[in-house]
This record gives sequence, structure tokens and C-alpha cells, in this order.
Amino acid sequence: MDEPRDDIDTWLETRVTPLQPHPGTFEQIRRRARRRKAGRAALTAAGAVVVLAGAIGIPRLVLNGPAGSTPVAGSGTATPAQRSSTGPGKLTGTGSPRPTDRPATPTPTAPPPVPPNFAASSVTFVSTSTGLVIGQAGTPGHCGPPKANDCTSVAATDDGGSTWHGVPAPVTSAPNGGTGVSQVRSLDGVSTWAFGPQLYATHDGGQHWGHIPTHGLRVTGLETVNGIVYAVWARCAGAGADFAAGCTTFSLYSSPAGTDDWSPIAGATGLQASGSAPGSAQLVLTGTTGYLMTPAGQLLSGPVTSPARWRTVTTAAGVPRSLPCAPGAAETGGHPLQAMLASTGPGLVLLCAGQASGSQQAKTLYYSADGGRSWSPAGSAPARGVAMSLSGTPTGPVLVATSGGIDFSTNAPGASGALTWRTARGATAAGGYSYVGMTTSLQGVAVPANVSADAVWFTYDGGAHWRESPVR
Amino acid sequence: MGTFRTSDRLAAEELFHACYPRLAGWVRRLVDDDDTAHEIASEAFTRLLARWSALDNPQSYLYMIATNLIRDHWRKVGRERRALRAMSATIPAEGVYHPAQDVDVRALIQGLPDRLRQPFLLHYYAGFPIRDVAEMLGRPEGTVKADLHHARARLRAVLGEAHG
Repeated sequence: MDEPRDDIDTWLETRVTPLQPHPGTFEQIRRRARRRKAGRAALTAAGAVVVLAGAIGIPRLVLNGPAGSTPVAGSGTATPAQRSSTGPGKLTGTGSPRPTDRPATPTPTAPPPVPPNFAASSVTFVSTSTGLVIGQAGTPGHCGPPKANDCTSVAATDDGGSTWHGVPAPVTSAPNGGTGVSQVRSLDGVSTWAFGPQLYATHDGGQHWGHIPTHGLRVTGLETVNGIVYAVWARCAGAGADFAAGCTTFSLYSSPAGTDDWSPIAGATGLQASGSAPGSAQLVLTGTTGYLMTPAGQLLSGPVTSPARWRTVTTAAGVPRSLPCAPGAAETGGHPLQAMLASTGPGLVLLCAGQASGSQQAKTLYYSADGGRSWSPAGSAPARGVAMSLSGTPTGPVLVATSGGIDFSTNAPGASGALTWRTARGATAAGGYSYVGMTTSLQGVAVPANVSADAVWFTYDGGAHWRESPVR
Repeated sequence: MGTFRTSDRLAAEELFHACYPRLAGWVRRLVDDDDTAHEIASEAFTRLLARWSALDNPQSYLYMIATNLIRDHWRKVGRERRALRAMSATIPAEGVYHPAQDVDVRALIQGLPDRLRQPFLLHYYAGFPIRDVAEMLGRPEGTVKADLHHARARLRAVLGEAHG
């Protein structure tokens, strides 16, 4: 007997086949939009002289990992006079902005070079061209002042990674227990945060960095969207570089992007793993909704367009939905190792990593099209390598960074069934990659797992091929 | 470094590359040919770029515009087909669409009233959460849920009749 709903369901579940634009479509659209905007302004100005901007402000598309949409304003205006004489790219007066540090007139000099021995630990892109990478440079024990181990450095690119230049950095060290930073995220290039475990912020494109007190808690994750920044603050016991180890209690905090006015998010505080065992948490933001994978293996969600309580994602019956796997312990950068969450296309994707056996590891994927209320199996990623990072794309395909390289799916999760996978070419960093993130469906960036590597990797074809970009 | 103007252009280009193929593909399943899908997707982007300088969720806005443009396209095509039928007795009143099941369902959706079709396409087809759809349409979430229920019930009823 025919079920009428089957026809509708089948139609709805048939995957959309992307339709690529004809060459020149974007330019055509841009010109047409500009003409219309000019015409409208001329009408509303009622005869007044109106000078129109040549470009239109466009809201940012929120992606997993690299975030933002506008360049690092001011990062290229850093002058050698603002940098410490021996330090690897930092302000001499960071933490308390001094007007006198800023030249009255920008000096038309070439951007400062990337400090020597730069080793990347995290990257954020705010457009396809402009990004920031944070890491350590110089020689530990010979950086500073004020402290000899304050070797944190930041480099920037405004040509998609073809060239890099130095940018002022927060004056601190590599992660060492409760101090130092290792990760970076930027909203728009003007407001940028360095974190893990400490938290620093700049709101002038890196000219001045301020330390944000976290009252003994460590910042293990941070993302930003819609003029709001969210961060996971955790109580941890890890020593040395393992700052995100031994974390037992997690809370989500937020602040308006420009004000450093941090406060906890109602409904997302005091989160613990079962039995108060050490665990981790992961934050994922979309344009409208934020998701926090809790150490207990549940999902909290809340709006990211306004301050509001976050709530546990439940089943249709109102029962808290347990994820197919819990996040487990964190890797060095603070990301969970046993469960990884990412937004992809219109949904969420979850990677459950099994026990590693040598260089092999089972990696099972799940997909949710309803904000985490239900999850469907989406097949398995290649067993080669230990999973380190998961990224979705606006059009749905998924990428996994592992200790053996980068794997990418050729299809999107959903009604089409299991994902099909291929191994990326050119992703040859020894030891694999600790992070992969897609800026667009075609362009993405990966950070090598080797903490002394002086390069990041780029793809421009959706993850199929990767190219090394030395940060020097 | 780029100026603010350049940065906005880059942001727009980034948005275009990220969203256009899926939006155009989404439209393609609701219209008869690739060219029309490209026209509608391009027009949606044009309106977005021309009118908005700050938007929380550009993707929602794009799909909302596209949904309205598709509705306009259907109306225009409907008028043309009615005029054509009036002029030529050789063109059957039914069977305008191709026989594929995909098109049959599309025709049913096309027959939904605007009030039910918009949330149906945005939620079930484009995948936006009910909360987002409510915000996009300016309706309470409960109303959207009820609209979705009524849309499904109406489609099922029509399909039930079609299947005898």
C-alpha cells in the first residue's frame, strides 16, 4: 500500500546538487547591486549630494574554526618602534594601552617581518585573503622583556598565505599550566582573542593586547559570531603544555566583542563529566545557534544573536539527548579527542573516535539535521591516523585532520547515506595535523601537529590538494 | 592591508562562493531549468548585496528571498501557461509538468498557499530550524509549527487522493 508521505519525504531527502556559478557571476551581481544601491540612495537623498561606498557591507558567514569576514585592520601598520627590541613580535606595553605607543601618523614603511623561528600553533582566517597565525618564535629563554620565555608571536597574511608579516602579540609564553596562550580567533580582524589557557584580547587590530582575568580558570575554547564572543572556561590541573588536561568543570562565558565584559551564560555553567572525571568540551557556532558539547556527552544550544539561556538539546519526547559518544580527554590545544563536533551545510556532524591502535583508529561519523535532537550514522572515515580535528563546509562535505594527514569526504552527510572518503594530496606534514578548518567550501587551512613546524597548509579545492605556506 | 571597502568586497565574495552553488541547486529543484535557477540565485544575491549592511544570518535571508522569487516565477509561468492553453486547444490542461516524481511533488508544493509553502520550503527543504524560520517569517514558533503541520497534512491528503 502506498504511503503518501513517502513521496514527500523522498523528495525532501534527495540531496541538492550544487549548481556552480558561471564565470563572472559574482562581478555581475556586485555591479548590479551597486547600481541598485546607488539608485535607491539617489531617490532617498532627495536631491542631496550622495557619495556612495563602492562596496556593500555583507554579514559574515559563520564557519567552523576560522571565523570572521574582514581584514586585520591595522595589523599591517605595526611599526618596529612598537615592538620590543629582542622579542619575537610583541608590544612593549601590552596589557595597558598607551596612546603614546601609537604614532600620530602611520609610517609608510614595509610591514615588519615575521620573527625568526616562528612555529605555528593556531590559525584564524577572516576572509579568503586575510588571516592570523599565532605561535612561538625566537628562542625560549632569550625572548622578552619582561620575561625571557615570553616568545608568543603573531603573523598575518593579506594575500591568502602567499606572504606573511609580523603583528604585535600578547606578551606571554607558550602554554605552561595556567599561563601562556596557544590559540587565536578573530571576529573581524579588529577584535581578536588569543587564548589557551590565558585570555588576551585586542580591539585595535593587534596594536594593543589586554589580559582578561579568568579567576584561575583556563580558556579551552573560544569562538565568535554576530559581535559576540563565547569561550569555554574550565577548572583544570594539567601542567606544562597540557594546559587542558585534568579539567573537571566547564562553564560557558560570553562578552560583547568590543568590550571585554565577560559573564557566564545561564544554563551552561558548572558542567562536569560523569563522576566528575576529567573531560573536555567543545563549542561550535553557526549564524543563529551555538552548540556546546558537554563533558558528559550531551549538547547544549542557545541563540547567538542575543543573550539568552542555553538549554540541553532534547529528543522529541523532551528527554535530554545523549550524543553517540562523549568528548573524553582534550588534546594539547584543548580540543576533545574522542568526540569532535562541527557544523556542516545545514546540519551538525559528530566524529566518534575509537581507541587508537598504533597509527590506526576507528572513526565513526554521525549527522544531525535537526540541531542535535536526532543523529543518523554517516559511515566511517579512513582508519589511517589518529583523529585530531574535524571541519565541515558550507556545502556539506567534511574533513578530518589526523596524525597521518587529511581525509575529506566527496559528499555531504544526510539522506544520501554514508560519507565517501578520499585522502588529500600534498598534506605531507610529518606527524599530521592538529587542526583543519574551511574558510569557504573550497578554501581551508590546516595547522601541523608538529609544534616546531614553521608553516601552515592551504587548500583551494575543497580539501583534495594541500599546499605548504611557510610562515616566515 | 586592505581598506574597509576591500574587506567588505572580500566578505561578499566569500559569502558568494560559500553559498551560491547550494542556493542555485536548491532553486533548481523548484524550477524547470538551470538558467532560471541561476537567474533566481543571482537575483537573491543582488538583493542581499544591495540592501543589507548588517544581517545576523545572510543564508536565511538569501533563502527567504529565493523562496519569494520562486513564488513569483511560478505565478509568471502559470499565467503564461494559462494564456497558452487559452490560445491552443492542443495543449492539455493537465500534464504541464514532466512525469518524474520529483516534479509531481514540486507541483504539489507549488499548490500550497504562500503561508504554508514558505515555512515548508525553509524548514523541511532548506533545513532551517523552526526557530529560524519563525524569525525569518515574523511568526511565533508555535504558528510555524502549526503551519508546517497543516502543510504536511494538505500534501498527504492530495497525495492520498492521487494514489487512490
